[in-house]
Order: sequence, then C-alpha cells, then structure tokens
Amino acid sequence: MKLLSLDASSKAASCALAEDGRLLGEYYADCGLTHSQTLLPMVRQLLDTTGTKTEEITHVAVSKGPGSFTGLRIGLAAAKSLAAGLHVPLCGVSTLLSLAYNLRGMRGTACTVLDARRGQVYYALFALKDGAVRRLCEDRAGPIGELRQELKNVEPPLFLVGDGAMLCYNSLQETTEGLALSPEHLRLQRASSVGYAALALGEWDSAGALVPSYLRLSQAERELLEKEKKEANS
Amino acid sequence: MTTYHTHSPQETETLAATVAQHLRAGDVIAYRGTLGAGKTCFTRGLAAGLGIKSAVSSPTFALVHEYRGERLTLYHFDMYRIEGEDDLYSTGFYDYLSDPRALLAIEWSENIDFALDFPHITVEIAPGAEEDERVITIKGDGRF
Repeated sequence: MKLLSLDASSKAASCALAEDGRLLGEYYADCGLTHSQTLLPMVRQLLDTTGTKTEEITHVAVSKGPGSFTGLRIGLAAAKSLAAGLHVPLCGVSTLLSLAYNLRGMRGTACTVLDARRGQVYYALFALKDGAVRRLCEDRAGPIGELRQELKNVEPPLFLVGDGAMLCYNSLQETTEGLALSPEHLRLQRASSVGYAALALGEWDSAGALVPSYLRLSQAERELLEKEKKEANS
Repeated sequence: MTTYHTHSPQETETLAATVAQHLRAGDVIAYRGTLGAGKTCFTRGLAAGLGIKSAVSSPTFALVHEYRGERLTLYHFDMYRIEGEDDLYSTGFYDYLSDPRALLAIEWSENIDFALDFPHITVEIAPGAEEDERVITIKGDGRF
C-alpha cells in the first residue's frame, strides 16, 4: 500500500508519501498563496526523490476542511483528479482530525482549533491515549466562548493545536485549568498527519464522492441567530 | 485625513499613482462612492503607481482581479453582489488578506462593513460642483 496525502487547507501546503504506514517522504512549503503553482510540482519532486512511479500509488488522502476556501478547493481538485486518473480510492480527512494526529503518542486531550476570524473558531476535541486518537466531538464552528464551556469536562493536560491555538490560549488560559500550547513544530497542518489519520479512519471512497467540508454556519442558521439576538435585545 | 479635488479621470489616476507610493503590503483600501464615481479609475492609477503594466478593468463579473507588481500584488475586488459572510468567504477574501505581498482595493466595501473590523484606508469619491470634478477623501493612519 502506497499512500499519497495532500494538505492545502491553510497558507502552507504539503504532501507526503507513506508505505504500509511508514513515512517515505514529506514536502512542506510555507511561502504564500501559491498552492495552485506549487502543490503538484511538490508531489512530482516527492515521487522522484523516493523513486516512486505515479502508478505505484494505491491510495490518496487529502484534508477536506475546514480551512482556507481557496486552499481547500486546490487541495481537493488535486487529490480528486489524481485519485480519478489513477483509479485508486480517496479518503477525505477532517483538517481538525489531522491536527490531532500531530500529537499522537502523547497523553491527554487535543483541542484542535482553526481561526475563523472575528472571535469565531473551528474546533474539535480528541482523547490522546496509548498512541491512539479518539474523537470526543464533531467538528464545530462557533465563538471562542462556546469552546470555553466544552473544555470544562475534558481530561488534562489539554493541548491546543492549529493556527487558532495562540488565539485560544490567550483568551482561555485564565479560566481553563491544564491548558497548554502544543509545541510549535507540531502546531500546524502536515500532510503526513493527514495520511496517518486516513489510515486509522479507513474510510476510502471514489474520487467523485468527496466534497469539501467548509463548516460554515448556513445562512438560515445565521439569520436565526441574528433574529434571536435582536429579540434578546428588545 | 486629506481631501483632494480632481477635475478629470486623468487627474484622479495621477493622484492615485502618488498615493500608491505610500502603500505597503497588507494595506486594505475600502472605496466609498456611487456608480461611476471613479473607483476603477482610481485603481487604474494605483496599478500604474505600482509599476503594473496590464490594463485594469472593473472586476464586477469576476469579483476579483489580480495584478502582479514588482513590489506588491494588487487584488481589486468588487463586493457589489456580496450579501453576507458566506459569500465573502467564498470569494477567497480571507485568503488574500493573509497573503504577505497583498494590497487589497475594494469597491462597494459598504457590503462588507461587517468584515472590516481591522485598520484600513478609506477612499471616498464624491461628485464635485463641475461635471468632471471629484472630491476624494482619504482616511487612514498617519500616512494620509
């Protein structure tokens, strides 16, 4: 089994190749919004360096969101076309789950969090134990205050991972016991973690079936919230 | 805050080209002004001031046009059809904001007031007393 995994869900992009769960190579670039120009050349380089023919790839995985709108579309378009062209199965991995895999092997709780701007975050919680990552809640979008409530009932230590980690640490550290920032080199998305998460999930499907998970509140939900807010104020 | 009076589209472009010399990566320009005020004209001057050779046209249809300069990349947005947070997210607006070389110029910025909660530059273009006269008010930090 040769798994090619891709991540373009943020301003950095990366790709990784693993064989039967062992990482053969990984390529990471954080040089601005150039994923449409860099992602596939990175894959080409990675395959060349590891002496892998394109046809040897048996599985493809990609982070499917939440994250940067443009980045997700580039990542999914690349992963879907590779999987379709090679006739191999594809696994879409939640960006928040892949971030929890950055910390596998540690013990405690991973709170993976991405900045959705204006005090809103995308977040999810995962139990880390015995080298495994177990999901504690679905991927969510909401205000940081909502996350504060969620963090009350989880097992410490509690590690913040993702580009919203510092933001949440600054606003939650005083009220949340056992809150810690994950080490900086483990804090952001990596294609290898997307690959490890896909292997654990084992949810392979056809290239056509995968859709991005932007995780935005729907317009209807937002209008309802606005309405409730207005009613509460009057 | 500074107010200028221009008397032709050419003068507006020249003024914008001068303003461009004071701009840097990360700046966001929010235009205020009705249809035909001269927002695209001002952007054409910005592009010229940044040394961009390509022709600048209104991004109404495509929502955003990208112009690569030597120093900065100019992203010219038209928010006329943007009706909320989801629309804005799907223009890639937030991705452009985090681009380290980006300068954003936004037409119909009134439609995304909810998202402009960070320091930015406002360029208001209003008709003057004469037909081709424009009153251009630029607000921002100490540079303007």
